[in-house]
Amino acid sequence: MKRLFLLIAVMIGILTAQAEDYSYLTFETTDGAKVSVPTSSLTITISGTTLTAGSESFTLSNLSKMYFSTGDESTPTGIEQLKSVNFDEAIDIYDLNGRKVAKDQMKKGAYIIKTKQGTFKIVVK
Amino acid sequence: MKKLYMIFVAIVLTIAAEAQTLNVRVGNVTYRFPAAQCGEMNYANGTTLTIMDKEFSLNEVTNITFDPTEVVDNTIGVTYNGSTASVVVAGNIAQYVTPTVSGAHVGITQHDDLAEEITYTLSGTSTDGEFYMSGSYKATIELNGLTLTNMTPVYSGAAIHIQNGKRIKVKPVTGTTNSLTDAANGSQKGCLYIKGHAEFAQKGTLNIVGKVKHGIKTGEYFTLKNATINVTSAVGDGINCEQFFLMESGSINISGTSDDGIQCDIEDTTAGSTGETTDHEGEDSGNVYIAGGTITINSDAAAAKGIKCEGDLTVTDGTVTVKSSGTAVWDAADAEVKGSTCLSADGRMTLSGGTLTLTNSEAGGKGIKTDGVMTVGGNANLSVTASGPIAYCSSTTNTTIMTTTTSRTVERLSDALKTSPKAIKSDGAMTVSGGSIFAKSSNHEAIETKSTMTITDGYVYAEAGDDAINSSGDFTISGGYVFGNSSGNDGLDANGNFNIKGGNVVAVCAGGAEVGIDANTEGGKKLTITGGNIVAIGGFERGSTISGGTAKSASYTKGAWYGLYNGSTAAFAFKVPSNSSMGSSMVVYTTATPALNKGVTGSGTSFWNGNGFPSFSGGTSVSLSNYSSGGGGGWPGGGGRW
Repeated sequence: MKRLFLLIAVMIGILTAQAEDYSYLTFETTDGAKVSVPTSSLTITISGTTLTAGSESFTLSNLSKMYFSTGDESTPTGIEQLKSVNFDEAIDIYDLNGRKVAKDQMKKGAYIIKTKQGTFKIVVK
Repeated sequence: MKKLYMIFVAIVLTIAAEAQTLNVRVGNVTYRFPAAQCGEMNYANGTTLTIMDKEFSLNEVTNITFDPTEVVDNTIGVTYNGSTASVVVAGNIAQYVTPTVSGAHVGITQHDDLAEEITYTLSGTSTDGEFYMSGSYKATIELNGLTLTNMTPVYSGAAIHIQNGKRIKVKPVTGTTNSLTDAANGSQKGCLYIKGHAEFAQKGTLNIVGKVKHGIKTGEYFTLKNATINVTSAVGDGINCEQFFLMESGSINISGTSDDGIQCDIEDTTAGSTGETTDHEGEDSGNVYIAGGTITINSDAAAAKGIKCEGDLTVTDGTVTVKSSGTAVWDAADAEVKGSTCLSADGRMTLSGGTLTLTNSEAGGKGIKTDGVMTVGGNANLSVTASGPIAYCSSTTNTTIMTTTTSRTVERLSDALKTSPKAIKSDGAMTVSGGSIFAKSSNHEAIETKSTMTITDGYVYAEAGDDAINSSGDFTISGGYVFGNSSGNDGLDANGNFNIKGGNVVAVCAGGAEVGIDANTEGGKKLTITGGNIVAIGGFERGSTISGGTAKSASYTKGAWYGLYNGSTAAFAFKVPSNSSMGSSMVVYTTATPALNKGVTGSGTSFWNGNGFPSFSGGTSVSLSNYSSGGGGGWPGGGGRW
């Protein structure tokens, strides 16, 4: 019985390894940016110079490659590098518990700061 | 425990179902790439996409989809559906093939750098489609419920055309029925044409209709295991191949052909036939081998052959039934009258097993014709009948075919102007060393060899309107059971010497000047008897030498059963024929003093078409008289042929 379990475990291991779950198709553009789209029910069409994969569209000449991936390898696009923010223009500042704090009350820690330029997450060291 | 297994199976199935496949569809062709094999798929210049070294022009790609279906490497599926067809190509071979689909006309080119065998699976139905494949690497064609008719050929006009000189396996999938019909306006050599070696296997059925030439044509050898092939119509041969034809099992049924049922040609006509080579390797060419299975051929084409080979024909097992009813014709190219034949070999014919039932009902038709040596032995079981009259024409300028049942009508004509119906004709020496032969020819010899005849064992029953058995050379019997029953000439006739050293022989002549057993005395030849158990109705040839035993003569009654004793040992029982004209008395010979009983009851397994038994009982003793060979074989003491 023990042997059987062992055999089953090994076989499942092998099969799992063979049937790797490629849930994403990742596109890479010529500038190195990556966009992963889930392959489930995915259809890719090409019309003129545009390739459409689900909700994503690419200009064909910008595409470098694509490959299957097990996870989402998209280059982050929701977080931008903070270049310069004028805290004087801060409208609201919140700590991570959602409490509104005054600028001079900020100690070490992470804060959400809302400005005219946008909302940022900052860390005070 | 059972539960555990079920869980295990469920897990495996679940895991298997997770396989991811990328499908690139280009028109009606879909290339299927397993995700695990794809690696990086590269775009170039916004115009191409390369996957597993297969380059796609992006402007030709219809779409790319994904599904969890498993991809089997080295496979191509072609599904016909009315006026369209779809092709699915496994990703690992995508770079090595170029498929083309036009309606339901599918062509696939295998590239020269292909190094793995592809299995093509064809299925579905089309009333105007075809499959064409070219290449230089071996392949397998599976027919999985395919009904394909070619009406407007894009390629040759064949329903399936394999322009590939390598080994091609054709597998009608077990349990499926597949039907092919070629185009009536094509240039194809066969409804199913294979340029290379064709190996048919599996237990499915393949139906063929050939509207231009042959039903099946292979440029090299043809082999069959298990499958059933039915050719119901062909303008040429039912099956035509080169190199060799080998049937190991399965069934072939052929009818409605305008030429031969099965024909095997010599591939290299300059080199000629090779005879059998070891394992059929090398240049085995022109030869037919039947080692099992069932062949049934109904051939009604003029001068056609049921089975014809330009080399040797060998039967070791299986069941072969050929009915020929093709008329005789004047062959202008060869300047001779030609009749139909059930089994024909330009080389040797060796029958050592199997059951062969061959029937030819037409004028000048033969059951078996071989240009070379003929050998019958082992467990071969032959029943061969030629019931037609003689076919002839009056001259090379008046070639209207006429028929006659009288040999005298044509005896002054050259051989080219006539063809005689014979059950078995061998231009070479004929040897019977076993098996069983029933040969009947209503209007000519039942068995004829243009060389020597040697019988050492087996059972032979020959019944004819001419000599029952005739040899142009020496005739030797040293064993076996031989019955020659002639209603129009000699029972057993040698144009050379006739030597009987053993065996069990009954010979019946037509009376008059004929004898039961004849040698060419006029030509300086002789009948010499030194052994055996012999009955000759019509007696022995004049001047025969009889030693090693005793000959006696007796009267007989037509249709009666007799038992021959060799001394006190029962030799065999035989039934005297009831021919309208027969020799006037019966001569018997045995190595001991012969004795004869009339009205015996035979026992054991019968032979000689039911006219003989190995043992017997009862009956009443027949009075025997002394016989003198110098006096011939007519009435006791004389009256025979001089």
